[in-house]
Amino acid sequence: MNRFYVTWIPLALLCLFAVTSGGAERKVQELKVYGEYDAMGFLKPVPVNVSGFSGEADSVLKFDLLFMGVQHVSMDEARFLITGSNGSRVEGHVTDKATKKHLFGKAYAGVSTRAQVHAFADDVAMLLTQTKGIAQTKIAFKVETGRAQSEVYLADYDGHGAQSVTRDGSIVAGPCWLPGRAGLLYASYKLGNPHIFSHVLSTGARAAVARHPGGNYSPAISPDGTRVAMILSKSGSPDLYVANIDGSGLKQLTSTREAESCPCWSPDGRTICYSSRERGATLLYTISASGGSARHLPTTGAPSPTEPDWSPDGKWIAFTSQASTFQICFVRAEGGPAYPLVEGEDPSWAPNSRALMFCAGPDHSKHLSLLDVPTKQVKHVARISESNSQPSWAK
Amino acid sequence: MHNKMLSYRSKKMKLAKLAYLLAVGTALSLAATGCRKGLDKTTNIPKGSEPTVGGENTAPPRGATDNLGNTPPLVTAPPTTVEPSTTTVAPPTGPGIAAASDEQFSNWIENRDEFKAQTVYFDFDQSNIKASEVSKLEEVARRMKSSFQGKALRIEGHCDERGTEEYNRSLGDKRALSTREKLASLGLDPKMMPTISYGEEKPADLGHTQAAFAKNRRAELILLSPPK
Repeated sequence: MNRFYVTWIPLALLCLFAVTSGGAERKVQELKVYGEYDAMGFLKPVPVNVSGFSGEADSVLKFDLLFMGVQHVSMDEARFLITGSNGSRVEGHVTDKATKKHLFGKAYAGVSTRAQVHAFADDVAMLLTQTKGIAQTKIAFKVETGRAQSEVYLADYDGHGAQSVTRDGSIVAGPCWLPGRAGLLYASYKLGNPHIFSHVLSTGARAAVARHPGGNYSPAISPDGTRVAMILSKSGSPDLYVANIDGSGLKQLTSTREAESCPCWSPDGRTICYSSRERGATLLYTISASGGSARHLPTTGAPSPTEPDWSPDGKWIAFTSQASTFQICFVRAEGGPAYPLVEGEDPSWAPNSRALMFCAGPDHSKHLSLLDVPTKQVKHVARISESNSQPSWAK
Repeated sequence: MHNKMLSYRSKKMKLAKLAYLLAVGTALSLAATGCRKGLDKTTNIPKGSEPTVGGENTAPPRGATDNLGNTPPLVTAPPTTVEPSTTTVAPPTGPGIAAASDEQFSNWIENRDEFKAQTVYFDFDQSNIKASEVSKLEEVARRMKSSFQGKALRIEGHCDERGTEEYNRSLGDKRALSTREKLASLGLDPKMMPTISYGEEKPADLGHTQAAFAKNRRAELILLSPPK
């Protein structure tokens, strides 16, 4: 009797354990990338088929995935099946079509269907591309509300849920985000000349960051949120300056006889890229954020580059080439041949270093658009009023 | 023999019982983990994960849908007012003449007509004063010295739309400043010449032709008189 229990009960328990742990294996997925890389090092879009969702949930999910390295194909061509439903709550699943292996399943609750779908889209992006999704990110931008009148707005990255941040009846320019989406910096003409203000979103509290004689504009916040680069003309010419985020500790970085413009930071916070006419034509330069000599950044093939924006992964600088029309281009961060992307201006990289926000269209009738850089897929973003420009993507 | 047969049968029965238990156990565990593809868990998206915008500016604009669902009510603290204050002119640094503070002139009376005919025009993407424009500035300097002592001159720099917004803000600034430098070289006090750039915000001509562009690349000169 004892020998019986010693042999068979443990064996039974072992079998039981094997079966249950086989089910748990589904919860622990191998983290591997399912796609291939193209010649520039971008992930080729992963082909999926989406079904089961309806209405807004379906369109929002498909929109989100376009800018996160996923493409929509027929069931036959798909590598992964994305299925789910959106009744009282959104439920989403990801299945490997070939092996029929269920890779992921989750339900989402709270806030709104849209927010739930965005959360699912981000989970799909992480699963299939190993990159943090952008479906739940935000943008700030300028909205023209009248002749020589504009306000700062913020919205979901797709333009939905827009809210005004300012209502000064003045001119604003160049909004940019403080880390953690706690606030913004922007230039405002409220007090006459353009000055740079910080604006805490939850309380509306504002403080002047740069209010020097002459112009104060084009703020760019360092990735760690501790410093701001900006253009000040207090010395008699528009020059590049850096200061602490509250405007103290001002340091002049350039003192050319020509105009500097449009600073942006490298993701490691050590370098600033900007445009300058110091050689008589508009070119891009880089300079150490702690000062030093400027280095020309070649953008071969793209004339008059300006409005640079550095990708968060450090690899690329997108910019506007002021040719006969404005062209969004990008170049390797060390400079070199410029690759044209799409007609438009004022690029702002998404946190995933793959999508870009930009604006296009004639003055006073501009609209924001999204671009997936490797596939060149473009989608318009919901527009507020007649003219939206100067997008800034919260990183 | 009979005993052996009995113990064999009881063993067989016990084995059968165990196999039965095992089968039930397996079935139960399969049910627990789910034969049908189930949900690993539910994610609750926390309320308040949206950035709240406080202040009187919180009303959604016309045409846009506020779709933030059950976000907590927005804090209704109005944006703080930033009051003008008198600032001193910084000592000259760098090669240019330090910009004049404009805030001290914020309540001076504007006269846009006095020097309308002397609006300075610029070539595309340039901020240098063309030879053809110099006589205008010579006249402005002369009249300021003879007729408008104690008055100030605001210089506004503007651009056409063929540059990007922030690039043009900088170019317009440079145009205003180089106009001011020229006037300073003609004897006017730079402290009495505040400059401002509007970039491409205020075109003189809304057209998209070369003629319209040429009208927009300008520096306007506005006579400022101290308040009574």
